[in-house]
Amino acid sequence: MKQGNTIVIDPVTRIEGHSKITLHLNDEGRVEDARFHVTQFRGFEKLCEGRPFYEMPSLMARICGICPVSHLIASAKACDSLLAVRIPPTADKLRRIFGLAQVTQSHALSLFHLSSPDLLLGMDADPAKSNIFGVAEKHPELALDGIRLRQFGQKIIERLGGKRIHPAWIVPGGVSEPLTQANRDAILEAIPEAMAIAERTLEWFKSTIERFREEISTFGNFPTMFMGIVKKDNGLTFYDGKLRIVDASGHVVADDLDPTSYSEYIGEKVEPWSYLKSTYYKPKGFPEGVYRVGPLARLNVADRCGTPRADQELAEFHELQRTAVLSSFHYHHARLIEILYCIERLEQLLNDSEILSKHVRAVARPNALEGVGACEAPRGTLFHHYKIDEQGLIRWVNLVIATGHNNLAMNRSVLQVAKHFVQGKRLNPGMLNRVEAVIRCYDPCLSCSTHALGQMDLQIQLVDAGGEVLDEIKRE
Amino acid sequence: MPRVLIFAFGNPLRSDDRLAWRAADVLAAKYSVDEVEVVTLHQLGPELAESVSRSGCVIFVDAAAGPGRPGDVRITQLSATSASSDAPGFCHAVSPSHVLALAAQLYNVRPRAYSATLVGKNFDHGESLSAPVKAAIPELVVRIDELVQKFINNKGQEVARRKT
Repeated sequence: MKQGNTIVIDPVTRIEGHSKITLHLNDEGRVEDARFHVTQFRGFEKLCEGRPFYEMPSLMARICGICPVSHLIASAKACDSLLAVRIPPTADKLRRIFGLAQVTQSHALSLFHLSSPDLLLGMDADPAKSNIFGVAEKHPELALDGIRLRQFGQKIIERLGGKRIHPAWIVPGGVSEPLTQANRDAILEAIPEAMAIAERTLEWFKSTIERFREEISTFGNFPTMFMGIVKKDNGLTFYDGKLRIVDASGHVVADDLDPTSYSEYIGEKVEPWSYLKSTYYKPKGFPEGVYRVGPLARLNVADRCGTPRADQELAEFHELQRTAVLSSFHYHHARLIEILYCIERLEQLLNDSEILSKHVRAVARPNALEGVGACEAPRGTLFHHYKIDEQGLIRWVNLVIATGHNNLAMNRSVLQVAKHFVQGKRLNPGMLNRVEAVIRCYDPCLSCSTHALGQMDLQIQLVDAGGEVLDEIKRE
Repeated sequence: MPRVLIFAFGNPLRSDDRLAWRAADVLAAKYSVDEVEVVTLHQLGPELAESVSRSGCVIFVDAAAGPGRPGDVRITQLSATSASSDAPGFCHAVSPSHVLALAAQLYNVRPRAYSATLVGKNFDHGESLSAPVKAAIPELVVRIDELVQKFINNKGQEVARRKT
């Protein structure tokens, strides 16, 4: 507790992992500061030390049940770098397919299962009903669409990787098995349904956005920079390219940055109140170097998507604001456009003339003692950085995860929402839900640092300077 | 679609939380995939309701923090109707009862369902099981196999009755 009164929301619900929010009140009972705490330690870097480097992709995929493929890709790319090989073109395309499927299923989970209760039932809905079961009761068609779209992505992962959650199909040097014609055809067959779901969900979302004017203006609506990997032509990509940073006015701050040199321009700061490190853009310093990553950032840094329907939607998205699109509420909108892009791009790649080639892996021994792999995970830019010894054993690992990039912005977003919606010394579920909802916009994946055991309760407490509880809300 | 669906879930990098994965390896080798599908998962998600809707019997295998001593095996019958009344606020990972409730709500199906848990001792970062958990895996597998055999035999008898 800093001084005066403190409101604690512990734990935050409907995000992945463990966290709590503390709202610091001044003597007048107004919100003065806010902090988003991640309260469990991530020990995976240490766990890897001494392991053979080639085990890393399959080991890293087990960090998280939500975005295993992104860890797999970044890890395999770091290992490619250790081998110093150029992977076969078909392997490159197959990895991209894998990544696009992952983004689709992860975005579907975020939007349909986690955020749709806020959007469909309203921010002031009864907390007992404000969840996927409430959505299933009132809007079963949307709940079913969410399930079908998530399955679409997961089935692709399963078909390529052999299983849906922790596939070890991506390996250093490429992929372990080529794509079969039967699997290619089966995935292509599922595309029209997935596309129809993406199209109608986007239309529904755009039709409801007017109802959330207050949230749009207060949910992380402030100037920051935005960072993402783009292709050489500044098009949207999830797999490979250069890093680009734009400022709040949309002007390019840095371009053509080599993702493998991330440590030259991205700093990581440890705060005493959270295990989640905060990253910042080094040339601007801390905390002025705050930037956001993920869907909103990717669409702010990209000039185009490169697929017809997504490009139409991106043009409309860029019209939302003459500068960069600033409100974090628009993460939802960006997520839907990315789903559309992923499905279109999947179709393009699956129809590529080389996609069934059997040459999918380059084999080599380690040729470098240090390697970095970077990709765009559903929630933002992901870096895996490894150092090995002469025997190929891991000696040092650093993982920079999307949720860390967004940590500073999430803290500021919580403060902005709390200042607007939390007033006085009494609490109500609507206030509480909005504070949580702004965090859900970022869809933080704290599973990369923890594992949720059992049902998570929600508690918000108002405590005075002497430690006495003035008000309390608890959900079970 | 197999008649029995087994979800074995937990974090395989959290020591005893990986016990369901270990049991799954043994179980998957016992059955034909046409009869029993064994799926390993980090955590349960709402979309599993669709898979549940196409199965006659679902068994959720998980590590438990208690009650009981490390190594204790517990089998509990689950129902969909008891789940919807305590719908969670945290939906990224849902409970077995919630998966069943969603299957009932969206697909109007209520398969026979069980929870099979084993009490763990150590949930820190790591890939090995504690001694009491390791020793209890065979019992967990036997208890799950009893559920599977009972369901398959009952179904077989039902089919035979219908034919006569």
